[in-house]
Amino acid sequence: MHIKLVNLKRDYGSLHAVQDVSLEIPSNTIYGIIGKSGAGKSTLVRLVSMLEKPDAGEVWYDNERVDNLTGGALIEKRRHIGMIFQNFNLFSSRNAAGNIAYPMEICAMDKAYIKNRVNELLSLVGLEGRGDAPISTLSGGQKQRVAIARALACQPDILFCDEATSALDPQTTRSILALIKELQAKMNLTVVMITHQMEVVRDACERVAVLESGRIVEEGLVADIFANPRSEVTKDFLSNLTNVKDSIVRWSTEAGRFTLRFRGGSTDEPIISNVAIETGATFNIRAAGVQHVGDEELGVMVLDIGPDEEHVRLAVQLLKKYGVIIEGDV
Amino acid sequence: MDMQMINQVMEATGETLVMVFFSTVFSLLLGLPIGVLLHITGKEEDGGIIPSPVFNSVLSRIVNVLRSFPFIILLIVLIPLSRIIVGSSIGTKAAIVPLSIAAAPFVARIIESALKEVDPGVIQAAKAMGSTNWQLVYKVLIPEAMPALMSGLTLTIINLIGYSAMAGTIGGGGLGDLAIRYGYQRFRPSYLVAAVIVILIMVEIIQVAGDRIVKRMMSRR
Repeated sequence: MHIKLVNLKRDYGSLHAVQDVSLEIPSNTIYGIIGKSGAGKSTLVRLVSMLEKPDAGEVWYDNERVDNLTGGALIEKRRHIGMIFQNFNLFSSRNAAGNIAYPMEICAMDKAYIKNRVNELLSLVGLEGRGDAPISTLSGGQKQRVAIARALACQPDILFCDEATSALDPQTTRSILALIKELQAKMNLTVVMITHQMEVVRDACERVAVLESGRIVEEGLVADIFANPRSEVTKDFLSNLTNVKDSIVRWSTEAGRFTLRFRGGSTDEPIISNVAIETGATFNIRAAGVQHVGDEELGVMVLDIGPDEEHVRLAVQLLKKYGVIIEGDV
Repeated sequence: MDMQMINQVMEATGETLVMVFFSTVFSLLLGLPIGVLLHITGKEEDGGIIPSPVFNSVLSRIVNVLRSFPFIILLIVLIPLSRIIVGSSIGTKAAIVPLSIAAAPFVARIIESALKEVDPGVIQAAKAMGSTNWQLVYKVLIPEAMPALMSGLTLTIINLIGYSAMAGTIGGGGLGDLAIRYGYQRFRPSYLVAAVIVILIMVEIIQVAGDRIVKRMMSRR
């Protein structure tokens, strides 16, 4: 299902949590919304998921406006979306199967159907035979799996993930993201993923919007944003990411003056050597690595260029000609 | 200790049990909806489902006024009401009316605070799934709060055992009545001792049983 936000606004007193957000979330994709804490992510997801009403603006699911729904129509619409949370928000009074059954129970579905569907969902999320487990006996990853099964029980069109992996360790995060990706493809879901972790965007999302102080500062394909970040927040998120142990090797803590990003095919070519030979500039590499963004490979290199400003100018010019994206004062 | 005394103590125990049982049931019937209303009309950040500040503060005031009413005065004030409801203003049945009404606001607060302990995130999740307000209350809030509600019930019963002893003042019968009429007014301390011991045993049994049930509920979560 395609989601469209038009000039959304929400204030809490003098705090402008969400100001003038317009966004198109294409159907059948995983869409990331990234922002730091306090950027307005949680408010935005509450507005988009009909948990809260905007002060101004519109929310559309396909060709239906949903932000002004009330009463029975609102409840009916909510039954066609799924949502998972950072703290899982499972019912402790019910076991795993009972949690998954809940959304079907409130729609008064047939008992025998519910029983079958619960078993089907348990195996879908890799928890066969764990239906009887009390919630407190499950690990964080298993809890999120139960929550995913619960969210998908009524075959929703949209799945909202509100910081769904923030309480999980990196390994569990990867397995949950893999599960969400798998289910997205299987069920043609539109997934909206709210997060403050760039890794989540990198590993799971196709498109991303960057949120700061209640506004969208950048939006586009994840591969494009990673290769060519324009806003300071995005660069900040990316620089945190480049410190991740498994994606880049940094052998000097002294910051390099330039950050180079190589896209796709260019990661295979000896660009730096070519430039060094052609211009006579010297390169001192501080850190480098390859990141996998979606299906694309992105080379990142932090370095200094010498020996003088004239060589710097020539080298930068040539690097740009090779299609390398350069960050740093030239 | 003679046979007559034993019979009297048994009879009084039976009366106390009847008073406590029925006043527990009726105070729950009165207090549960009030407690639920107090909670769901509260602030959203406290887990309120349908926040309505004016209604909430009015109801809250009424509950507070009723709670601060001394029970002994309530007993007398409610004599006409007992007469209307059970057709008599004295006796065990008549005492159930003021006992239930005295305990109801207490029960309402206990239920409110038990419901407040339910994680607001869980309510939000249930709401996002399209639960109606009624479903949120009986399928989520109450089951989630069950252990806390159970220990609240234990507390209510124990309080009512204490209150029921005072019901003797309107001829309500029961162990308190026996202790005062025979033990105190007729100078037979053995009655006093016997009544107190039976009350102590009752309280202990309720407390232990309540704790066990709560523990069993928690172990299944």
